[in-house]
Amino acid sequence: MTILEVNNVKKVYTTRFGGNHVQALSDVSFSVEEGEYVAIMGESGSGKTTLLNIVASLDKPTSGEVLLSGKSIVSIKDKEISAFRRNNLGFVFQDFNLLDTFSLQDNIFLPLVLSGKSYREMDSMLKPISTKLRITDILDKFPYEVSGGQKQRAAVARALITNPKLVLADEPTGALDSRASDDLLKIFSDINDEGQTILMVTHSTKAASHAKRVLFIKDGMVFHQLNKGSMTNEEMYQKISDTLNIIATGGGRNE
Amino acid sequence: MMFYIMYFIADNDGLNNMSGGPQLRTLLTMGTFIIGMFSVIFLFYTNSFLIKRRKKEFGLFNILGMEKKHISKVMLWESFFTAVISLVAGLLSGIIISKLMFLLLLNIVQFDVTLNYLVSMQSLIGTTILFIAIFVLTLLNNLRHIHLAKPIELLKGGQVGEKEPKTKWILVIVGIITLSIGYYIALVTESPLAAMSKFFTAVLLVIIGTYALFIAGTIALLKLLRKNKKFYYQTKHFIGVSGMIYRMKQNAVGLSNICILSTAVLVMLSTTVSLYIGMEDLLKNRFPKEIAVTVDNVSAEQTNTIESIIKDEAKKHDITIKDALFYRYLSFPVVQKGSSFIADRSSLNTPADLTMITLIPLNDYNQMEKRSVTLNEGEVLLFNFRGEQIEDKITLNETSLKVKEQIEDMTIDGKSSALIVDSIFLIVKDEMAMELFPAEELNKTNTKNLSFYYGFDAEGESNQEIALTKSLQKTLKDEGFEAFSEGAEESRESFFSLYGGLFFLGIFLGALFIMATVLIIFYKQISEGYDDKERFEIMQKVGLSKIEIKKAIKSQVLLVFFLPLVTAVVHIAFAFKVITKLLALLNLTNISLFAICTAGTILIFAVFYGIIYALTAREYYKIVS
Repeated sequence: MTILEVNNVKKVYTTRFGGNHVQALSDVSFSVEEGEYVAIMGESGSGKTTLLNIVASLDKPTSGEVLLSGKSIVSIKDKEISAFRRNNLGFVFQDFNLLDTFSLQDNIFLPLVLSGKSYREMDSMLKPISTKLRITDILDKFPYEVSGGQKQRAAVARALITNPKLVLADEPTGALDSRASDDLLKIFSDINDEGQTILMVTHSTKAASHAKRVLFIKDGMVFHQLNKGSMTNEEMYQKISDTLNIIATGGGRNE
Repeated sequence: MMFYIMYFIADNDGLNNMSGGPQLRTLLTMGTFIIGMFSVIFLFYTNSFLIKRRKKEFGLFNILGMEKKHISKVMLWESFFTAVISLVAGLLSGIIISKLMFLLLLNIVQFDVTLNYLVSMQSLIGTTILFIAIFVLTLLNNLRHIHLAKPIELLKGGQVGEKEPKTKWILVIVGIITLSIGYYIALVTESPLAAMSKFFTAVLLVIIGTYALFIAGTIALLKLLRKNKKFYYQTKHFIGVSGMIYRMKQNAVGLSNICILSTAVLVMLSTTVSLYIGMEDLLKNRFPKEIAVTVDNVSAEQTNTIESIIKDEAKKHDITIKDALFYRYLSFPVVQKGSSFIADRSSLNTPADLTMITLIPLNDYNQMEKRSVTLNEGEVLLFNFRGEQIEDKITLNETSLKVKEQIEDMTIDGKSSALIVDSIFLIVKDEMAMELFPAEELNKTNTKNLSFYYGFDAEGESNQEIALTKSLQKTLKDEGFEAFSEGAEESRESFFSLYGGLFFLGIFLGALFIMATVLIIFYKQISEGYDDKERFEIMQKVGLSKIEIKKAIKSQVLLVFFLPLVTAVVHIAFAFKVITKLLALLNLTNISLFAICTAGTILIFAVFYGIIYALTAREYYKIVS
């Protein structure tokens, strides 16, 4: 079943006085099936983050449509969009975006509290997830008291606790050291094996090599696509590097 | 932003140099001093606020290769220009507005002074010096900050990782104790004189308590709320409570400042307003009879002479004497210990124990009150004017006296109400009056006989009344009497200048403080808005809708805004009783008037506050979203 469908999405930023038009996305189309683990790669400024923001309904495309489980998220009313985001999407960010004023546990509870769940319900949902992510011991700590890897695991827990249809990750390993990165990628693979659909934006080859499918974006378009199939992570890594090389050395626009 | 105070200072100084009446002048000088102090504090505060925001900028300069020397130079020029511009603007507007203010003051005081308005050089120079000094000080302070800090620290500025504040239970307890003692004192104090000395202790305690509770108590309370899972995990409370814990850590001191400031404003405004409005009342209290004459050392026969002199003089001035009241008396201070009174003042511990005793012969009392009471040996009648309850047996200098009757009400000389000590009137058998008078006082005060009081309401023109009051004293003195006369009309003017001046000062300082309070809160909220921006962005990403954000902001700002106000009102509610006692010293006994004035000022203050709140909340929301 197709979870996410992105059709001919175009995004043009206009400067405040309407003078300059910057085309962030020119024509992007792709789809994500249920249970998939897709990575989107591209250099800085290639439009990755814009694309993710549109999928996350934080931003609206200039044209084109985005369907989540067959429902267009472009046409959702402003009033309902927050609730929609809360119930269907989970977010993992590069800089964690944990709130300093909350303990880790409260940070994880945040989306649930916003949906008005009772404490008991939340607590029972938290237990299995915190065990899985190995953060049970540090739940009472505050974000500034724990390491980056622990913070990111808490952020993952926050993304997962609502049982979202789709987890969106924006450079999740960007602020982590290599050990914590490996750890996090393993967690992603594990939850994907359990059936969680993940869409990840990254420019780390290593992170992308864990995904089952990698999309390459260049100049606002989907440039190339790699399927992992039965390749190992290492082989995938090699393949991605090659592709990036081709793109970087000016493979041009000949697909 | 600094202009406000600037011109207020300027015009106050201007007023000060021209106003008539020494009392008024001292009052206004005091006001100038307060405003001066205040502007120092306020400018420092705003400066620290601005410099925090600009640290990043300076850090960047530093990293880009500017030496600290250069930055200092930039800052020097910057503050030079702001100082010059704000001084010029402030003084100009001060000169213009001071004229207006002066007219207002004259109107309030009801003086007929011709307006010889000119620019007062002295106040211009004074203002300039004060503000240059302030600017230099703030500049030095800023330079100190820059020199001490490292470039990276400057760049990071305020965003150093905040730790969650700890609950300081000891401070909470201290706060609760001091606050409750303060309140207790305010509630149990009965005597006006005691009120005066204890009032300051109470104020001090309440101030300490306020600080302690704002600093530690709020955090403790919020943490308790957080422990209550059912309450805490609701969208509104969740964001609010956690945010407030951090908010309070940074702002507790500021909020308690605001709280105390607003309490001061409210007390000041309500008392001065009620004094001014209640002025007629006050005159009535102070002068039960419009004109009163007292003559010392008068024998029973001489009273008739005096009476006829007074009547003659009144006729000369075309004034009809109405409701004349006269009696002979003797009064002297004693030290009160329960029901015993000792003339020896060396045993005095606190001024609160001092009591004025006035002896009135029974004959005079019967004549005056149209009664026919008889007294046996050792028996007295007692009228307790503003004092503690006294038993029916008293000792006066080792003479035991039995109180035959405690009189409920009696027309007396208004002077007693002007005294700050308690007063007791004893009606004694005629010949006992001199006997009871303590021997050592006789020599000290050169008292040989009783004093005579003659008071009456006068019907006639007011300047004639004033003239009569003056000529009475003169004529009687010429006749060889130790006479003293006073009149309501004569005193009205000085009353107006005193209370009118107070009223003016109250309004003036009140307006200033309100403005300062409001500005402080406004800046606080705006700077917090910048800090909170990130938080709300994250929450939006996680799924908080705009409406919910608005709600959360509203409740948060609401709390920060109205916590000090509510506390201030509570303070005033507790202080109400003591303040009425203090006002009684100033002859104002109309409690309901004071209550209305208090309620009125609180209402006006709250309205101002509400407007600013609405503005701030909107501004805050704009920043955050």
